[in-house]
Amino acid sequence: MDATNTALATKPHVDESHPEEHSVLNKTNAVSKETTPVKISIIIPTNAYFMSGIRDFTMTVVQNMTGFTEQWAYRFQSVVDELTNNAIEFGSAPGKDIKVTFVSIQGKSIEVYVEDTGTGPNKKTAAEMEAFIEERKNVDPTTITSIRGRGLTQIVSNWTDTLEFTDNQQGGLTAHVVKNLEAGEQL
Amino acid sequence: MAQVQITFQDVNVGGKAIKLIAFAGQLDETNVDNEAQKIYQVIEEMAEPNLILDFLDLEYMNSKSIGYVTDWYSKVMSKNGKIVITRPRVNILDILKVVGITQIVTVYENLEEAKASFGAAVAPAPEVAAVGATPNQTETPQA
Repeated sequence: MDATNTALATKPHVDESHPEEHSVLNKTNAVSKETTPVKISIIIPTNAYFMSGIRDFTMTVVQNMTGFTEQWAYRFQSVVDELTNNAIEFGSAPGKDIKVTFVSIQGKSIEVYVEDTGTGPNKKTAAEMEAFIEERKNVDPTTITSIRGRGLTQIVSNWTDTLEFTDNQQGGLTAHVVKNLEAGEQL
Repeated sequence: MAQVQITFQDVNVGGKAIKLIAFAGQLDETNVDNEAQKIYQVIEEMAEPNLILDFLDLEYMNSKSIGYVTDWYSKVMSKNGKIVITRPRVNILDILKVVGITQIVTVYENLEEAKASFGAAVAPAPEVAAVGATPNQTETPQA
């Protein structure tokens, strides 16, 4: 081992009485276990290419920052994937962005907002989306014969406690879902 | 971008020709439209399509992928064939259940049962279990 490596491997002297050293050296990458919300926003181009990355990130957030079981991490991965896909397909035009925001509270809940810009070719209003969900949420899923039409009404509706849409300031749509951590769903 | 590999194998069960179709990777918006055409082609080519969809290495499928499964089912049934699913992972079985596909297409826990279902009558397990499933992981969603 050369001199440089030796120096790197040696634990530096820490004067914990010094306030700055104390604060910096106590910082870690560990996620806080406190119940304060952690908010993370990701902006992606309107392109399905990026959705596998969003799915991976969703798994990481739900598994590490909420207390939900692995089963619910997978379920929320699907929820976010379906919402993001809808935004890409209907809400934002190519060249525009989709914003996905996660708000997690350890041991309590996970919320996700998916915002589009309303520039897509098949833009829907919040009222139209609410009506669409209401109309189809009680349909027997085995009677659906089309290739489309299961994402929001079957997967997202069944795997979230709250599903709502609002018309946002950009002229687009914001989908908001909440899943609360209940007994039996914890790690 | 998600990657998926689909491989095809001819299997003979009691003189009946079966196509074993194995999926590996992730089926999502980026690839499912193209990949689905391979299955349609198999259905088209077989006089009586008998298909086993082996999901052992399928890590993810979105709602449109599930929609294609129901469409394949319809096309196979219209040609007096049969389609079954085998060896889904826990998360895959979970999503198949929530959209009601397990009420339409029979899911077998292992490949031998799936093959046997095309020969002598073999009843599926009362409660379909996923590969590596634990009891809690196959419960109906509470949400």
